[in-house]
Amino acid sequence: MGGFARNRLVKALRSGLMQAVRRYLGAAPLVLLFLLPLALSLILLLRGLVDIQASQALFQHPQFSGALKLTLFTGITSTAASLMLAVMITSQNHRNILQQASVFLSVPHLALAMGLGFLIAPTGLLARLIAALFTGWTLPPHWQTTQDSFGFALIAALVLKETPFLVWAMASVMQQDELKQRFARETIVALSLGHGLHASFMRIVLPQVLQRSLWPIIAVFSYGMTVVDMALVIGPTQPPTLAQLVWTDLNDGEVLANARGAAGTLVLSGLIISALAMIFLVLRITRPLQRQWMTLAARPEIRSTVPARIIWPIWAIIYALVIVAMALQSFSALWPFPDLVAPHFTTTAWARLLQDASPFWTSVVIAIVTSCLALVAVIAWLETQSQARDRIALAAATAMLCLPALLVALGQYRLLLLVGGTGTWVGLLFAHVLSVTAYMLVMLTGSYRAFDPHWQSASRGLGASRLTFLSKVKWPMMKASLLSSLAIGFAVSIAQFVPAQLAAAGRFSTLPMEAVTLSSGGNRALIAVYALVLMALPLIAFQLSSWASRPRWRTA
Amino acid sequence: MKKRYGVTVSHTKITDTAEVVKRVRDEVAAGKADGSVDLVWINGENFRAMKTDKLLFGPWSESTPNFALVDVEGKPTTKQDFSEAVEGLESPWGMAQLTFFADGAKVTNPPRSINELIAYATQNPGRVTYPAPPDFHGTTFLKQVLYESVQDISVFAKQGDEATFKQYEDVWAKSLNELHKVSWRDGKQFPKAQADVTNMVADSELLIGITFNPNEPANLVAAGRMPAATVAWQHKNGTIGNTHFVAIPANAKAKAGAQVFANFLLSPEAQAKKNDLKIWGDPTVLAVSKLSEADAKMFTSAPAPGSVSIPGPALLEPHASWVALLETAWLKRYGQG
Repeated sequence: MGGFARNRLVKALRSGLMQAVRRYLGAAPLVLLFLLPLALSLILLLRGLVDIQASQALFQHPQFSGALKLTLFTGITSTAASLMLAVMITSQNHRNILQQASVFLSVPHLALAMGLGFLIAPTGLLARLIAALFTGWTLPPHWQTTQDSFGFALIAALVLKETPFLVWAMASVMQQDELKQRFARETIVALSLGHGLHASFMRIVLPQVLQRSLWPIIAVFSYGMTVVDMALVIGPTQPPTLAQLVWTDLNDGEVLANARGAAGTLVLSGLIISALAMIFLVLRITRPLQRQWMTLAARPEIRSTVPARIIWPIWAIIYALVIVAMALQSFSALWPFPDLVAPHFTTTAWARLLQDASPFWTSVVIAIVTSCLALVAVIAWLETQSQARDRIALAAATAMLCLPALLVALGQYRLLLLVGGTGTWVGLLFAHVLSVTAYMLVMLTGSYRAFDPHWQSASRGLGASRLTFLSKVKWPMMKASLLSSLAIGFAVSIAQFVPAQLAAAGRFSTLPMEAVTLSSGGNRALIAVYALVLMALPLIAFQLSSWASRPRWRTA
Repeated sequence: MKKRYGVTVSHTKITDTAEVVKRVRDEVAAGKADGSVDLVWINGENFRAMKTDKLLFGPWSESTPNFALVDVEGKPTTKQDFSEAVEGLESPWGMAQLTFFADGAKVTNPPRSINELIAYATQNPGRVTYPAPPDFHGTTFLKQVLYESVQDISVFAKQGDEATFKQYEDVWAKSLNELHKVSWRDGKQFPKAQADVTNMVADSELLIGITFNPNEPANLVAAGRMPAATVAWQHKNGTIGNTHFVAIPANAKAKAGAQVFANFLLSPEAQAKKNDLKIWGDPTVLAVSKLSEADAKMFTSAPAPGSVSIPGPALLEPHASWVALLETAWLKRYGQG
């Protein structure tokens, strides 16, 4: 073998080795931070599968059958209503719909449920307004507007929160360049065949959009079936939802109750999977009918009777009212019915927040650390792994977001118990970082992979190293998506309740944990303060990210 | 503490004392002699569990100097924790007794028994309720209803079982049914926690509140969360009361330090501070008559608005085994709305 050939071989080997090392190092953060813990958590869940005794105890719980019915009712109704409303909203041509939806998105579920309570409860702002304007009630009305036996208040809260999410998901599909052009072309064809604008949306655009929004819809359903924090605040107790029942059991001091709770999470997951399977089956069977409807002869217009145009603005009004109700509440101590505002204005509750600021700082620090860690892990993965491998990461992230939060949290908790990590800072970080990473992975992968590769060849041609290219060209160009995914990671972390509560083992308190404790612990002004702070932090993060990513120069 | 006695105290917040019982049990089982808990705030079921399983250090509590000041005659619950003899295994810290409260402007003639409460609710339908068990206020209310629906309550001091409970279940449920018919949400929903009830009373969605700390109503008035006209009362024939204690686990590392601290918690100074409405408002376990004049003065301030104005005797808690019986029966009967 000649020296030249040997040289080439060595060189090839070395660069191969370098590449392999880089590949492993690049994958390591995401694997260690996300993929491995998620896999281990899910494996540890299998332990509860065989606990027949615990399942029996669950089925014999006096509230089980009632809770089951309530869960199915609230989960299915809220998802169906959110989906219908989201379709109506996206069928209209709202400008800036993505940005508007993302404002609603940044409001944590828990904060919304609390605020909605202040608005609609028998002693809430609405009842006081009615008393002042019309009826002159001296005692609060016997309304069942919160904690009603059917869970309507819970459904309302879920719909208020999930509709913007679905709008956001569907609108982002519709605004992808390639699809946008295709939909425009197809709509023109439909119009020239005599279909109305609305009809062409319903028959051509919508089916394609829905197909591409399948995972968000499943995530909404799974969330609605398993939500704990919202149900604790605004849901009924006799019986409670299954998720609440499970949650109480998981937090019980007794080992038997814990096992019953674990069995409950599996029952909940089975319920979700079978419900989804049923829906797919129905869709499959009725496919001929659907096709028939879609290929009906053209009619000039099929208009929905509800004035769809006004639905979206209603969202802004309700969210604004919720915030007003919370703000009023946060400055009041004693606020007897039917006074429209509290007799004395006090800042005691806000002072309390500052006095015991540790939950606030714990939440903020954890949100910053986890979102940064997750960003590094995601970018390291995307920079070093082939695009084909994204499928593994995305599948894990999607699974994480669509599986019931209770289930994943329980797995995480078992993993933490196994390694003795409950009640430690690392454990608490870990409890937050999984969902943060999952969300950021889903948000970032698309735009990161869509980055035009020509920029890289151009800068390599100019002799720039990879690092220079990344720091001087690619990342600055991608600033907007990087920062907005960071903001989303921050918001997700701030809102984490279930995994955090389990991992903290009473040693730490975060904002949502404090808020839930407070919501069962009385002081309304303080609850309002925490709900407002929970809302404000993600909003600030989003504002900061959009301010920081504004273009610094304009091209002519 | 460090300055005065050379003992460093570090407070660990827990959500449930049962966790501590479990931790100590695990540690003792693993043969760990230098345990992680030196002193635990405890009573009732958890005390019984630790006493039965020999997880407690002692007897020690009756030999601390300040124990001599404890009102063992007037407050028998300081020696009898639920129905378990204390036997020096825990040191009393504070008192609790089921107490009701209301805005005196709205409730002029407070109902002083369960029957009077039902009569009151019949006149004011939908304005009375109690927190859903297992909130312990709710559970205690169930015990109170049980006590008031039978002639002789001595049977409940003994271990209860399904068969014994069967004899009393019907009268108990009859009272509850009557109350529920005229309760908030027709007794089909219950507030999740005692604090919710308190809020609803402050808003006048409910008219009668419930607490286990007799000083809480006064505390709420001081905090501006209830009006100054607030009244607090206990039932004619008494309401359930108990004492909360501190105990030292068998495997505690700093047993001497823990005893010094427990003794400090019993000192007139610490008890008076705890008794202060601005601090906590937790009633003292001491007999004010046994204190020096200067010390006694710390406890005899003029009654604050909202203090208990119509007191009733304290009744001993039933044996801990009754809790599960009552809670299960309640869930079966009323858990489905």
